[in-house]
Parts: sequence; structure tokens; C-alpha cells
Amino acid sequence: MLSSWRARLGWSAVRLLLTVVVVLGVFGLFLWGLGRDPIKAYQDTFRLNILNPRGLAGVLARMAPLLLTALGVAIPFRAGLINVGAEGQFMMGALLGTWAALNLEGLPMGLHLALVLLAGMVGGALWAAVPGVLRARGWVNETITTLLLNYLAPLVVGYFVFGPWRAPELAFYPQTPEYPASARLPLLFGTRLHLGFFLGLFFLLAYAYLINRSRWGLELRTVGGNAEAARRLGLPVERWILAAMMLGGALAGLAGVAEVAAIHTRLKLDISPGYGFMGFLVNWLAFANPLGILIMAFLIAFIASSGFTLQITQRLPYAAVNVLMALILFTVLAKPLAQRGKR
Amino acid sequence: MSWFLSWISGAILYAAPILFPTLGEAVEQRAGMVNLGLEGLMLLGASLGFAVSFGTKNPWLGVLAAAGAGLLANLIYAWLVVHRRAHQLAAGLALMFFGIGMSALIGKPYVGQMAPVLPKYAPTGPQSLLFRYDPLVYVAFLLAPLFWFLLFRTRFGLRLRAVGENPAIAYAAGVSPSLIRYIAAALAGTLAAVGGAHLSLGITGTWSEGMTAGRGFIAIALVIFSRWNPLRAIVGALIFGGAVVLQLQLQARGIGVSPFFLDMLPYVLTVLVLLVWGRGVRHVAPASLGRVYFGTE
Amino acid sequence: MKRAVLGLVVLVFGLVAAAEPCLIVGMIIGGTKDDAGYNQSQYEALMALKEKMPCVEILFAENVPAGEAEAVLESMILQGAKLLFPAGFAYMFPALNVAKRHPDVIFMHPGGYMLADNFGTYFSNVQFAYYLLGVAAGLMTKTNKLGFIGGMPTAFVLGNCNAFHLGARAVNPNVTTYFVVTGAWVDRAKEVAAAQALIQQGCDVIGSHLDSPIALAQTCCEAGVFYVGYPSLAVQKFCPEYWITGLGLSWGDFFVEVAQQVLAGTWKPEHVRRGLEAGFITLGEFGPKVPEEVKKVVLEFKEKLVSGELQPFAGPIRDQEGNVRIPEGTAWGPLDMGKFDWLAEGVVGSPK
Repeated sequence: MLSSWRARLGWSAVRLLLTVVVVLGVFGLFLWGLGRDPIKAYQDTFRLNILNPRGLAGVLARMAPLLLTALGVAIPFRAGLINVGAEGQFMMGALLGTWAALNLEGLPMGLHLALVLLAGMVGGALWAAVPGVLRARGWVNETITTLLLNYLAPLVVGYFVFGPWRAPELAFYPQTPEYPASARLPLLFGTRLHLGFFLGLFFLLAYAYLINRSRWGLELRTVGGNAEAARRLGLPVERWILAAMMLGGALAGLAGVAEVAAIHTRLKLDISPGYGFMGFLVNWLAFANPLGILIMAFLIAFIASSGFTLQITQRLPYAAVNVLMALILFTVLAKPLAQRGKR
Repeated sequence: MSWFLSWISGAILYAAPILFPTLGEAVEQRAGMVNLGLEGLMLLGASLGFAVSFGTKNPWLGVLAAAGAGLLANLIYAWLVVHRRAHQLAAGLALMFFGIGMSALIGKPYVGQMAPVLPKYAPTGPQSLLFRYDPLVYVAFLLAPLFWFLLFRTRFGLRLRAVGENPAIAYAAGVSPSLIRYIAAALAGTLAAVGGAHLSLGITGTWSEGMTAGRGFIAIALVIFSRWNPLRAIVGALIFGGAVVLQLQLQARGIGVSPFFLDMLPYVLTVLVLLVWGRGVRHVAPASLGRVYFGTE
Repeated sequence: MKRAVLGLVVLVFGLVAAAEPCLIVGMIIGGTKDDAGYNQSQYEALMALKEKMPCVEILFAENVPAGEAEAVLESMILQGAKLLFPAGFAYMFPALNVAKRHPDVIFMHPGGYMLADNFGTYFSNVQFAYYLLGVAAGLMTKTNKLGFIGGMPTAFVLGNCNAFHLGARAVNPNVTTYFVVTGAWVDRAKEVAAAQALIQQGCDVIGSHLDSPIALAQTCCEAGVFYVGYPSLAVQKFCPEYWITGLGLSWGDFFVEVAQQVLAGTWKPEHVRRGLEAGFITLGEFGPKVPEEVKKVVLEFKEKLVSGELQPFAGPIRDQEGNVRIPEGTAWGPLDMGKFDWLAEGVVGSPK
């Protein structure tokens, strides 16, 4: 049992490595075709984002929201649900968290921050509850609704940021007042790395443990494996569906509020460069496997960070990195894992 | 009354670039495929169309090039989904990243440039000058009934919907689900890219990175709003176009409205449609939507 | 022989200079450098710096969302940047965060209102110059209706709209200005829709404060209405026929000044605000349809503005509700421009 698992892991690692090599080769040719020096480009990217501690901290900082949004997709995924809505849940988490940050000032240091993070989780969970209820009642497919709500969320945030919550001293650029010090997630080592990264790791470990070792995890996976059988076993399938969606939403919401509380320190519209969608891909590439999520979150964070390195050193538009991302995905997608279940 | 007419005229203009991808996505989803890559396809069409129009001095060649590129790009998606049995949502997101990236690379030299744009024509009749549009606007609104006819009144449409409902049964009845899905994807890719080209060559006459500003996603919402029906898609697109224009016209009249409220309108309406029709929608939605079909190779 | 040696020396120095830049300067912008607008004007200033001080090495990134600004600035510092231009309004807070972590790097932000030991700001007195565009528009309009499109309702945008309106009223008291916001610094399709809404309203001269009014210019040409350009003069090529005049931000010489101060160690954090008189902003050429008398009046106003005789924001100035915002006997100066959260009497539209 264990050895086969190891063999599978080894095989996945080899496959991942091969994919990366192939994609880097193709993208290198692509760069070369654009008249750039691919070797230098890769060297610079590696030197500035991995070898340099500050650069590495930047990559890890970017991993924080990716880990959490990926988990936000993974938990519903284990219950047989497809949550494409982490992006919206991320925004709503940031919104409700900001409410707590700006309105509960005066509370003791740790308590205020805890409430802010909790409010973020509640925001994400509530936003995810809408598709959860609709799906649990058997009304509407959660794929459709989570996707839709992604586009509604930034508009709701925009309404508050441009309207009632807009900082009066900032006739400049629409954003809320700054989070008070008691509501901020501390940055570490004078870099952009923040506590959110460790929150992400903590929840990843918790997920790894609970999903495989606990009764809850077993029930959740049973519901995901075969809802009908689960129902016959007497499991509250509807409740599990709603719970899984809300748990997922809570983690995506936590990602949002953590990002604001640590990095931006004010709510504004452009707090996410698509972390929700990237989290979806992380989970998909990892197939909800905890270790896989860790690796893929790092990979995607590294690629996203490299985009700007490439732009500065190679004068490539940032969007070029999207081509790299697409190449990786195309390559992985073209190697179907038919055994990956019937989804 | 005249402001009402000018509102309608604006609504029609801004409905067009969103109607193209909505129609395409409706067909694609009817065949059982959700494609989240519309935004990328639109951007690809917008930038390549502009570039080709710049190079050849002929906007129609630009539209043609956009259509071709959209078709080819979406065939990548179809190949992944149909032949490699890839996850549709992941494949769509990959296509989105591809389109965003490629459009930026293609369009880079054309930022801040001028290219020949589509000519405009006015119908005859009273107030006709208000309704002076480039031909793609007319094309968009003509395509909607055409697609309705194609989907609901032809043998091909029947087969396409059968594939969307249950590919295994369709296959048993002698239809090739793969072929149908390739055709649907080709149509959708073409239309989405033409919608993008309409933004760069019809409405604005410029290219700027990310200029579709989320319209590819709104199209997906509109497909659901219209419950996979091309005729209702017209209504959805008009509501969207009308909201954009109304918000600016109200401002010009000194009536302050949070732009976000009107921008929310299409989404809120879609959510309401889902709630009101509730169970009904589930029956309208193509049953095999989003599922990988393992039946045949 | 001598010459050859000299040549060699020059060559060696050249190589050394190329290998060891005297200063690494970084800039990030929110749009593209060829937008015929705000971003282009920032980039041109950077290029002017490079041209006048060849020993400077340039790091540059465009299309940087504000949420990503910190990461990119950090990356530039990793590559040795000692002087950074986070050249967008939205970058002020991210740049301040980075500045706190890197006291040895100097930041110059356009239009910011905060200072730190290593963080200064610069901007042109745009609102004062925009008054001149208003004068031109007030003389050119036939319908007495002017339009103004803003990206977002920020203080600078409201200030420019007010200046445009006040300038027009100075020469044409019957003018009404219609103010519309698109909600984004760049959304070309919405800009066209906004221009069309204004044109349908009867506006025949349109001013704007967007990243890049290219689409606006083209819409004006098609409808046959006039427009004034800002923030780059490059936009006139998109519709030369209906171009009245415009303002271009021009900071090349100032960037050289800053770089030299940084090298000499004499740089101090301050709010640098200069106008037409210092070349921080340039009034463009007039378009082909502008009559000589109009040009003459505008240039007269310009002279008075440069000499300081004319104060565009001298009270009494009332807002839309009729409240006096700038009392008689006082005048708002360059550092008051961040205070606009109101629109002047006679402007139709919402300042929120």
C-alpha cells in the first residue's frame, strides 16, 4: 500500500519534472523567437526569485493566498463540488474583514486581528453559502453560480470602496482608510512575507490530517464519491454539501482578508491579480492532494513573480508570463489522467 | 423622447460586442462544453484584428484574421476537452491565460497606433442617424435568430443538443459527439474573437491591453441568464449594453448613480433568473455540461 | 598615435561606464508607455533622463497593477535600483511601504501628498494650466455646453474639471460643463460611450482627465466636435482636425535634476510642484480650426498665469449647491489641489 503510494508519488514527480522541462524548452524557443536570451532570462529569474532571500520571501508571500484559495477549492472538490468561485469569496472575505478592521477598533491587539480574520472567513463562507444552498436543494449547479458570483463580488466591493467606506483624506484614489495597527497581520523579517503564509501552511496541514484521518474527512469523501450511497448510509448529504462549500469559502475569504491585512493595509479594488482562479488551477494540478497543493502553489507563485522579472530584465510584457502559464496548463491537460476519476 | 432613443441606440451598440461571445458560448454549452476562455479569445481577436487592419489597411481583413485566430485557439480547447478528456474549466482557464498573454504580445507594437476601422452605415427612416452602426452590429443581431433556428429547427441543432444532453445516447443514435463538439467550439471561438475585434475595430478604433474589461465573463453570465437560448441572449446583451450607456447618460444629466449598481444589474438579474426559475433551470441546462465524456474515442 | 590612445582611453572609460552604471533608476507605470497619455509622458521623462545622463541604467515595468507594485519595486531594488519612480497615483501607499523597508533607496512619487525621509513627490500644476484649456473651450463652443470625462472622481480630476469650467466662464459666462466619470483610468469602450453621451447632451468641446484620451479624440473627429488634450500632446495625431490645444506633462529636465541630487547626496524629501513657468507642463500648438483671436486670448491668459498675475482659484468660488468654497480674498495654491471634493457652480454632474 505504502510502496505503491510512493511509486505513484515518484512517478508524479518525474512527470512534473518532465512537464516543466518541456515547457521551459518551448517557452525558451518562444523567447528566442522574440529576440530575447532565454538562458539569461531563466538565470535572472532564478537568481532574483529563488536564490535571493528577499525575492524568495516575495514568492512565499504570493503563496499565502494561493494555498488558501486552493484549499478553498479542494474541500468542496472532495465533496464532489466544483467551486470556481474562490475569486469572489476572496473579495468578500476582504470586504467583511475590512468592516471588522475599521469598526472594531479599540479592541486588544490579538483579539482585534483574530476577529478581522474571522470576519473574513465569515464573508467568504456566506458568499459560498449561496451556491451551496442552491446546490444542496438540487436547484442549480454550483459551477454556474460560483462563477457568476465572482463577477458580482468586485462590484459590491467597488460600491463600498468608492462609496460609503472611501477614505475622506484620499480624494486621490478610491480606497478605504488604513487598517489600524491592531488589525494588521505582521510582516516578517522586513520582507513581504507575512503570517498569512503560516496560516496557509497550518490549514494545509489541518486539511491533510482531517481529510484522510478523521471521520469528518471520511464522510466528506463518501459524499463526494457517491452521494446516493452516502444518503443510503444515512449521511446528511445536503448538510455536507453546504458545509463543504462554506468551509471552502471561509478559507478563500481568509486569503482575501489576510492579503489586505498584511500587504495592502487598505481595501481597494485591485487586491487580487486572479488568486481565486490561480487557486483553482493549483488545486486542479494537484488533484486536491495536500503535498501537491504545496508544490503547485509554489510553482504558480514562482511563475507569477517571474513575470515582472522577465519584464524588467528582458523587456517582455508581463502578460508573456500568461503564455508560460498557459503552456504549462496545456501540457498537463494534454496528458489526461483518465484514472483521475470521472469528473 | 430623444434621450430614450439615444439610450436605445447606445444600448444596441454596446450590446453587439457582448452578443457575439454570448451566442458562441450558448452553442458551445448546448453541446455540453463550458468555456471559461472567452475573455482570452476576445482579447486575441481584438489585438490580432487591430494588428492586421494596421498592416493591411483593411479592417475587414482584420476581422477575418481575428475570426481565424479565435477558431484555431478554441480548437486547442476542443482538442484538450474532446480528445484528451481534459477538465473543461481548467482547459478554459488555460485558454484564458493564453489569450491574455498572446494578445499582449501581438498587440505590443500597436498600442497608441491608428488602424483603419470599420465603416459605419445608417438605415433609412426617421432618426436614422442615431442608429448609424458598423456592419458587425447588424451581423450580431442577425446571428441571434439564425443561431436560434440552427439550434432548434435543424437536424444539426437537434444533434448538437442531444450531444449536450447525453453524448452516449447521441452516439448510439449515430451522431459523433466529437465532431459536433469540434464544430461548436469552432463556431464559439470565431464569434468570441469577432466580438473582440468589434471592440477594437468597430467601437474604439484602438488597442489597449486587457481592453475587453471582463466582457468575456459577462457573456458567460448572459448565457445562463438567457437560459441557453440565442433569442433571449439578445435581451441579456441589451440589458448589459443599456446599463453601460444609461449610467453615463444619467451622469451627463447630473443624476449621480453609483456605477457599480448598474454594472451589477446583469449579474443580479442572472442570479434572480436562477432563483426564480430554480428547478426549471436545471432542466433547461444541458445535462452533460462540464462533464468529461468517456464514451468513445 | 595620440589620438589612438585617446580613443582607447575613451573606449575603456566607455566600457567601464557601461559596466558600472553611476545610478540605477527604476520606474513602474500602470498603463503602457505608448498610450499617448499619462504613462507615455512619464516614460518620455525617463528616456530624457537616460539621454542626458547616459551613465544611468534604467529599469522599467509597465502595466503594473497597484496590488503588484510592492513586488515589482522590491524586485527593482534587488537589481540595484537606488532611485525609483512609482509613477502612478495608486502606487503611493505601496511605495511608502517599500520605502520604509529600504531607507537607502529614494522614491519620487507623482502627485502624492505624503513624505518620508526617502520619499518625495513631484507634479505639475496641471489644474492651473488646465484653466487655459477652459479659456480656449469657452471661446470655441457654439452650444455653450462643455463636456468633461474623468477616469475616477479624484481630487485632481475634479480640480481639472473645475479649472476647465472656470476658465471657460472667464471668457463666456453662459457656459455649462457636464461632468462624467467612467470608473476606470483605461476602459476605451466606456470612454467612447461617455463621449457619445456628452455629445448627445449637446456638448461641442470635450475635455478629459484619463490615462489616454485616444478613443475620445477619435469619437470627437467622427462627431465633429472639438476636444482639448491632456496629459500628453501626442494624442492630437488621432484627430488633428478637431484638436483645439492641449497640455503635455514634461518632466525630463526635472528627472535629471533629481538624479544629480541623489548622486551628490543633496536630495531632500519635499513636494515639488511647478507649472508652465518651469517647463513642468507645456501648452500645445493650436489646431487648424482655431481662429487667430482665440489663440491671442489664450496666449494672453497664459502670460498672466506664468507671471502670477492670474490666480485661477481665487475666491469667491462656489460649489454646485452655491456654498462658498473658496472665500473672497483667498486663493488656492498648488498644494491645495488635493482638496477638491466638490464641483464648481455651473458644472452638472456628481463629484462622488
